[in-house]
Amino acid sequence: MWLPLLGLLLGFAIGVLAGWEVPDEYSHYLSIAILAAFDTLIGGWRAHLQRTYDETVFITGFFFNIVLAATLTFLGVHLGVDLYLAAVFAFGVRLFQNIAIIRRLWLAEWAKRRYNREKS
Amino acid sequence: MERKNRFYFAGVAAIFGVMLAVGLRTTLHPEGRDTRDIWELRADLTKEQKLEQRLLEELESYEETLRRYRREHEAGGATELEATVAKLREEAGLTEVRGSGLVLTIAPFSAAGYVGPAVAAVSPELLQRLVNELNKYGAKEIAIDGERLTNRTAIRDVNGATKVGSRSVRLPVEVRAIADDADKLYSGLAVSPIRDDFAVENLELSISKPQPLVVIPPAASRPDVKYMETENGGKEEK
Repeated sequence: MWLPLLGLLLGFAIGVLAGWEVPDEYSHYLSIAILAAFDTLIGGWRAHLQRTYDETVFITGFFFNIVLAATLTFLGVHLGVDLYLAAVFAFGVRLFQNIAIIRRLWLAEWAKRRYNREKS
Repeated sequence: MERKNRFYFAGVAAIFGVMLAVGLRTTLHPEGRDTRDIWELRADLTKEQKLEQRLLEELESYEETLRRYRREHEAGGATELEATVAKLREEAGLTEVRGSGLVLTIAPFSAAGYVGPAVAAVSPELLQRLVNELNKYGAKEIAIDGERLTNRTAIRDVNGATKVGSRSVRLPVEVRAIADDADKLYSGLAVSPIRDDFAVENLELSISKPQPLVVIPPAASRPDVKYMETENGGKEEK
């Protein structure tokens, strides 16, 4: 449970301390890639809670989604259509769904624990 | 979750963390740093101190006026109020002004052997430039072709004719300017490139020597006052 959080904090610290910055014209791509990565991360967590976690699916999904989102943005920029909105929409909806599922799973677990406590 | 899986998950989370940090750094640009050195800081400080001084002086003069108003009010006189009105009329350009200054003349200019269309008018841009130049070297009051320039006088092109305020300007044009220091105004104009600007448009700007008495007429029209009302005549608010 704590290991992924530790990894996240470690990565964040590295990112802050390293002082990298992306040029302004590419910040769009980075934002969309961050959204894709966040979606995959939350998806992986939900899968873990539902006991359907698959490592290959998770890791390929992580990189594939990032690349796909960046590609969509790139295409959109060159076609003059805001295609990145498609990615924002898709990932946004999925994020909300996944978080809702996680919340329900937690609620169910909490209710079960209370029930058990009252019973004992 | 297996141990190996956890490590992978943590690794992916770390990558996400790096991305997030870089993204935040990119979007949240640090505020512009103050890179002034000590001399620039001193210059800025002096500037602010001068401003403060000026504001204080202004405040002091208003307070002095207020005190005089109170005294007059107690004494029942109105001379102070009249003095203020006279001062305001002077500031608004409603009075004739005399003082030392220059007389400038704009006339058509043609070099020897020039064959081309004769210049019929002076463009408003050129006149505006001349006014800016005069103000730059300390002109206090300006009149173009007898039309007093106030804060509200427009210099513009109306259907091909150059108008200053409501008066059409035709060549030759006489420009009068009054300055506290007419010599400074004269030498400023002597080195200014404004004469070349006139020459480019085939006009000649001749500048007189500083004269001890230049008369500038009052503005012909009273400025319209749209948004102010006298206290008695104003609408009463409920």
